[in-house]
Amino acid sequence: MSIQIHKQGISDSIQDRGRYGYQHIGIQVNGCIDYLSATLANTILQNKIDNPVFEIHFPASCFTFSSAEIICITGANFVPVVNDQSIPLYTPIQVKEGDILQFLQPLEGRTAYIAVQGKISSEQWLNSYSYSNQRIQKNEVFEIASMTSGQLENSTISFKQTLIHKVHAHLHSNTPIRIIPGPAWNNLEADSIQQLLHSQFEISSQANRMGFKLKGPTLIQQKTDEPLSSAVTRGTLQLLPSGEIIVLMADHQTIGGYANLGQIILVDLPRLAQLKKETPFTFNLVNVALAHQLYLEINEWFKY
Amino acid sequence: MLSSKNKWNIRWLGDHALVFSLPAMMDENIASSLQQLNYFFVSKQFIFIKDLIPAYHTLTIVYDIQLLHLFLAEKKCTLQSWAEHTLADFENNNSKINPNTTENIIKIPVCYDPVFGIDLENIKANNNISINEIVHKHSENIYTVYCLGFLPGFTYMGIVDEKIKHPRHLQPRAKVNAGSIGIAGSQTGIYPTTSPGGWQIIGRTPWQIFDKDPSKLAMLKAGDKVQFNPISIEEFYAINQHKI
Repeated sequence: MSIQIHKQGISDSIQDRGRYGYQHIGIQVNGCIDYLSATLANTILQNKIDNPVFEIHFPASCFTFSSAEIICITGANFVPVVNDQSIPLYTPIQVKEGDILQFLQPLEGRTAYIAVQGKISSEQWLNSYSYSNQRIQKNEVFEIASMTSGQLENSTISFKQTLIHKVHAHLHSNTPIRIIPGPAWNNLEADSIQQLLHSQFEISSQANRMGFKLKGPTLIQQKTDEPLSSAVTRGTLQLLPSGEIIVLMADHQTIGGYANLGQIILVDLPRLAQLKKETPFTFNLVNVALAHQLYLEINEWFKY
Repeated sequence: MLSSKNKWNIRWLGDHALVFSLPAMMDENIASSLQQLNYFFVSKQFIFIKDLIPAYHTLTIVYDIQLLHLFLAEKKCTLQSWAEHTLADFENNNSKINPNTTENIIKIPVCYDPVFGIDLENIKANNNISINEIVHKHSENIYTVYCLGFLPGFTYMGIVDEKIKHPRHLQPRAKVNAGSIGIAGSQTGIYPTTSPGGWQIIGRTPWQIFDKDPSKLAMLKAGDKVQFNPISIEEFYAINQHKI
């Protein structure tokens, strides 16, 4: 009843929804950078939606199964194969003892998730399986606590097809990434505001779970005094003194001292987490009311 | 005590956080008002609040959107009106609020030996001050813990004496030892764990100020008062709680 890491990927980890309640003492939230794909994988397997999952980047780890398990892969399409046989995403897959799961190429998206029916056993700290800078290692073994006989009910298949379609369409839509302006917005030069709203940006190669540095126009502030540090969130657009933007992701520090241009709305962070390098995107402004409405609507998709 | 001249400002921090702020400065009265507001929110136990994060002049509430909307529907109000109403409620009742400020000064032992204080020479040269005087100035003041961040348990404290203020290194060091005491501008702080860091290091405490054990975690919290107590290198090794 276990999964072994046969070969280690560049940056793969165990993630859940992260931990809240400790940011006042500087403890980061962590958690999946694409909560929608992770939730979807657990939903398809009828797991609890916040069960820990493997978060995978390319080049990805390679997994060996020591027992029969049912798994489901969502998010990025890295062309998963089991014993060299291609397997579909968004689908419960039965694997047998001795099977090897590998990922061949980064076809679509940036971040993939593997859920296992039952629960991946791993060490928890402060109510979460997620840690900063902790990657899964070669030869590491994860026990799987089974919850059922390994059978899935078929009654919910049509509901799931609709859900999968909606999540996939949302994640890979090429509409602008929506932001709510922050305190440093009005300190931008007028030209820089126009550039931020109308130029194309890309995620640079300096991108990890702490933050994504963007490639785009150099933005200029009217006053360059460093603001007093205050809390930041996932999705915060920090403007560096160089005029470049870093978008904070799940492993961000709790407090930041760079100019805060705004925050990407929660439902669009998974979209950013699925954008490949050199895929251009733009920003668009929205208000909090719309961001809340979108978040609540997407939560409804998962209710059956 | 919150004075009536405090001007609170409320702003959005994206779609899942709200910031209550006072004028942007490092000031103990501002820190104390933020602590009282923090305590007020904690005592009210609003179901939708996931985190309350104090910083120098801000208190940030991180909320769960779903739980917030259940709450707002029940109270028939908007987030904006709830925030304004709650702030008014706080200001009307602030005389009754007691955030348990015992005003105890936490005395933290620090060895300022140059073995640990690897940037003492730097500050000595740039600020034209003797090492003895740096130690004296640093250990004389009582500091307020304004916030924790950067790393779990990293404390931002202030305000250091004008004579020992010093900008951080342009290039951060790859490794600063756990317990190192640093200066950055007018701030002073303690590295809870060994990590990269850019602050000017003037000494090291033998105390472990952060422990992963869930019953311990951070020794200090925002609002605490701290004073550093100089100790010898022999005393440092007699107390030393660091593993390396």
